[in-house]
Amino acid sequence: MTNTTTTAAVRRRQRNHPVLLLLPAAIVTAVLMAIPIVTTIVRVIADGGTGITRLFRLPDVGQVFLNTLYWTIGSVVGAIVIGYAGALVLQSKKLRLAGVWRSLLMIPWIIPGVVGATVWRWTLSTDYGILNQTLLDLGLIAEPVRWLSDPGIVLWAVALIQIWVTAPFVMLMVSAALTTIPAERYEAARLDGAGNLAVLRHIILPAIRPTTGICVLTLAIWALNSFTIIWVATSGGPAGASTILPILLYQAFQNGDQALVSAVALVQVFIGAVFAVFFVRTMRTDLEEQT
Amino acid sequence: MRHLLGRVSARAGVWTTLAVLLVWSLAPIAVMVFTSFKKREDIFAVPVRLLPSSWTFENYSAVFTSSSMPRALLNSVIIGGLVAVATLLFCFSAGYALARFRFRSARPTALFILLGQVVPLTVVLLPVYQIVSSLKLLDTTTGVAFAHLAITVPLVTWMVRNQIAAIPYDLEEAVQIDGGSRFDAVSYVTLPVCAPGLAAAGMFAFLQSWHEFLFASVMATSTASRTAPVALTQFAGEFDVDWGATMAASVVLTLPIVILFMIMQRYFAAGLTGGAVKG
Repeated sequence: MTNTTTTAAVRRRQRNHPVLLLLPAAIVTAVLMAIPIVTTIVRVIADGGTGITRLFRLPDVGQVFLNTLYWTIGSVVGAIVIGYAGALVLQSKKLRLAGVWRSLLMIPWIIPGVVGATVWRWTLSTDYGILNQTLLDLGLIAEPVRWLSDPGIVLWAVALIQIWVTAPFVMLMVSAALTTIPAERYEAARLDGAGNLAVLRHIILPAIRPTTGICVLTLAIWALNSFTIIWVATSGGPAGASTILPILLYQAFQNGDQALVSAVALVQVFIGAVFAVFFVRTMRTDLEEQT
Repeated sequence: MRHLLGRVSARAGVWTTLAVLLVWSLAPIAVMVFTSFKKREDIFAVPVRLLPSSWTFENYSAVFTSSSMPRALLNSVIIGGLVAVATLLFCFSAGYALARFRFRSARPTALFILLGQVVPLTVVLLPVYQIVSSLKLLDTTTGVAFAHLAITVPLVTWMVRNQIAAIPYDLEEAVQIDGGSRFDAVSYVTLPVCAPGLAAAGMFAFLQSWHEFLFASVMATSTASRTAPVALTQFAGEFDVDWGATMAASVVLTLPIVILFMIMQRYFAAGLTGGAVKG
């Protein structure tokens, strides 16, 4: 009895603290995120839409949007496939030292993006790159491929770098999800005569479907907003062949073209908003349990 | 017999896939490490070989004696430290409030901070640049650190909130019923219990700052605040790139991170997947 009243009193006393505690983080988020987004929208409206008009009249704007689309799809699909392969291999009972292999496969994910892009730029070099040399030695190509200077290839080459960096994240997430599948389920499937492919299709993939959703969403947001890797590897070139929206924005920023920066930012906000809805939906369970 | 063959081929399949994945993941790392030990004429030798024909440390001595990299590394450490400390202070208090108090604006506030995670950094680049500029903090370590809070605060608030929510509130109540204040309860119970998680969160904030390129590239214009990732791109001129020095600097930038990761792997894994959605 006394216990419950004390607890209630303690609870009552605490009521005025939370706003104060939240204030610093909320102010930082407001100053660095909310106000900038509002400023961007206000700016685009205030200049009468000239920035937006100019953006859509840029000669290669169609290509930038297509590049953004292809780049996003390519890097998401690639990272999912490689991440899944990694997780499935590491989970296999036939493998020893899984922990060691896991750490090694994580390295592309933990090194700085600038370093990853720089190293790949050298690896993919037309004349001095080890990739072309290896492919030539193996007789797979007759001439060096111009990975980062051929407009027809460059977008896929930079997507390769993005895949290299992000695939370990998928591997980590899927590995975590795989450990939640009870061993009995595999045994039951085996007793019913299921082969490897059947187990993958009917046991593993359904069990990790929510994780797949989160991974696809996260990877798509990353790819859409990705700047560093393309900028360091190609700066969006040659001739805009690897320019995506964030690169276009950065170039406008460097040229001091504020109207164009705000216009591209607004387009990114719209695209981002669509993904934000999905994102909040997948995170809603977290929110529910706290209110 | 067929069964045995199947098992052998399954094992071979697993190891082959692993080998391919290891080559894919580590070949560029090997290129980085071995190129950093090559002499200049060796770097541009054709046919290209992975290993140096003769090993040299001259690239490393170039990085440490005749480039802005040492200063940039120091700047990166200072900025990362500032970011980690500020992030932990802000996010522990916010995370605690979100985990422990029930109040009307809790949900909107949580949503607000959560959405901070999906805002593309390029979108806020110009306004944040102008805010930092109006605070007279352009080209200072404080200014860059401030901008980096845009990345860390939304992420780490969420990580910390989840950690605190996982600690039973009864523990804190027990202290208060015994006559301690709420502050006592937090400092003697909650903080020690989630200390490892907070250490990981701080490390995570440091790493985000250590990796960040976009903000740093526009706000740190001179050696006074230039960070290591930005300095790395400075080895590349318009037409000529000093690849030996670039690779040596890349190794220097990567090595501490990899070592740290190997040591703290267990904590990292949880932190990296705990709502990490920033590019």
